[in-house]
Amino acid sequence: MASQNMDPAAAAASSTAALKGSESGGSSARSSVSKRLQQELMTLMMSGDKGISAFPESDNLFKWIGTINGAQGTVYEGLRYRLSLEFPAGYPYQAPRVKFITSCFHPNVDEQGFICLDILKDKWSALYDVRSILLSIQSLLGEPNNESPLNTTAAELWDDQEAFKTHLHSTFQN
Amino acid sequence: MAAPVNIQTPSKTWELSLYELHRSPQEAIMDGTEVAVSPRSLHSELMCPICLDMLKNTMTTKECLHRFCSDCIVTALRSGNKECPTCRKKLVSRRSLRRDSNFDALISKIYPSRDEYEAHQRRVLERLNRLHNKEALSSSIEEGLRQQARYRNHRVKKPAQESDNTTFSGAEDNGDARSHLSHDSAPSHAPLPPGQTPSEAGPSRKRPRASDDGGGVASGPEADSGSPAPPPRRHKERPASEIELVFRPHPELVQAEDYSQTRYVKTTANATVDHLSKYLALRIALEEGRTNAETEDRGREETRGGEETGGGGGEGSSLRNISEKQYTIYIMTRGGQFSTLNGSLTLELVNEKYWKVRKPLELFYAPTKEQQQQPAQKSPPTQTQREG
Repeated sequence: MASQNMDPAAAAASSTAALKGSESGGSSARSSVSKRLQQELMTLMMSGDKGISAFPESDNLFKWIGTINGAQGTVYEGLRYRLSLEFPAGYPYQAPRVKFITSCFHPNVDEQGFICLDILKDKWSALYDVRSILLSIQSLLGEPNNESPLNTTAAELWDDQEAFKTHLHSTFQN
Repeated sequence: MAAPVNIQTPSKTWELSLYELHRSPQEAIMDGTEVAVSPRSLHSELMCPICLDMLKNTMTTKECLHRFCSDCIVTALRSGNKECPTCRKKLVSRRSLRRDSNFDALISKIYPSRDEYEAHQRRVLERLNRLHNKEALSSSIEEGLRQQARYRNHRVKKPAQESDNTTFSGAEDNGDARSHLSHDSAPSHAPLPPGQTPSEAGPSRKRPRASDDGGGVASGPEADSGSPAPPPRRHKERPASEIELVFRPHPELVQAEDYSQTRYVKTTANATVDHLSKYLALRIALEEGRTNAETEDRGREETRGGEETGGGGGEGSSLRNISEKQYTIYIMTRGGQFSTLNGSLTLELVNEKYWKVRKPLELFYAPTKEQQQQPAQKSPPTQTQREG
């Protein structure tokens, strides 16, 4: 087959072409992205997952607002967080930009709401979708990765769950 | 070429798993009983997990045997990590993939009319894109449409229907981003209570809370026309439980016309079949009206301005005749037969009586037959006949 003897330069050229396509977002590429986003919206609505929801912010299908309820049995129980999800034209090959809108006191979330989560960075796979992202963040809330904290105060306080909870709930602003 | 299949374990002993030990044997089907498999359940098997569409030019990973569309997996390998998107097994290059033409053949056996379906999808998307651009160019058309919609809504609703605490929201699967807006739990526009004048609620565009004060049956023509930047509304806790349903055109009675897409509707469980029917009639009338009237509106809007009582024109008068009698709602019974639903049944009841499964209720609709001749018919829609 032709691909067997692919010249590296050609491969590089084609990959930059692909990148360009994802940046400028040719209309066909864009429509396939919206198609996938619509499919996701449909399944998300039909699945009725407890504790997470998401919806396009306005007419723009490429920006959604999600909500996550803190999981039961964690210090976040009873708290509800809003997040923004922005989808690049290269979605789902590129991860969406996800950040907290509601400020979130958590070892892996910084003051601007940026989240340190591998699946949103190098561990992204085209198979992840809005639903799996929100579920992952929901479980990240209860199980932080304290090895690489963005918020060191939160990471230090985490071991004392009572104090953490008190601080969390007293500072929570919806 | 290919290495011979390994023949190294000739004397493998088989042990029954726990499941196999405890399962009770199934009766063999000896008579002519047919077992129906829903296309939906098949869909997840035939779907590409990347584009979520049906597999096209299937490629299978050689090592882990996961399937993707050729285009999808090639793009994924180019733009990301060199691993299987499903299981993260290393995929060095395209050479770690193999064309799976048997699977393509299987899909085309199951869905012979796939090309037709895709062509239809494309047409719908194209039309929507055109509409979108038009809107982007001139938001004043939007404004005009919205004004009209409000006016229609006000006139169409009869006070009798407004006592129920029932809201509708819905969307089509035709890729209209704007219509998804109306999925939010509360309608963005509710008909006015009888005492209120339109001018009070109109220009300020404050959203009356239908669900809180028992506002009434509301389809969301306003939500459909999509205000340019509506503030995102959060879901509220609501007393009435909600029900989701998939609403398809009756496969035998409706030809592939413009309005006959599948609709996804979310509403309160105490809504009746009649409510649904009327909502549908309104939606279809509005959709048809909008495409016809869009060009006219451009001109008409200037002259009419904010005046709410102006003549509605042909479109308005057709909306005045909106009635739950226009469409008949069917449900598919176990034998694959369509049975008509009584208009007074609540959706909750329908769900319990006919559906029972824990997945969105599926209903079918078709225009009622004798609607044209007798618009003022008194009998409930269940009495209407369908062609056999």
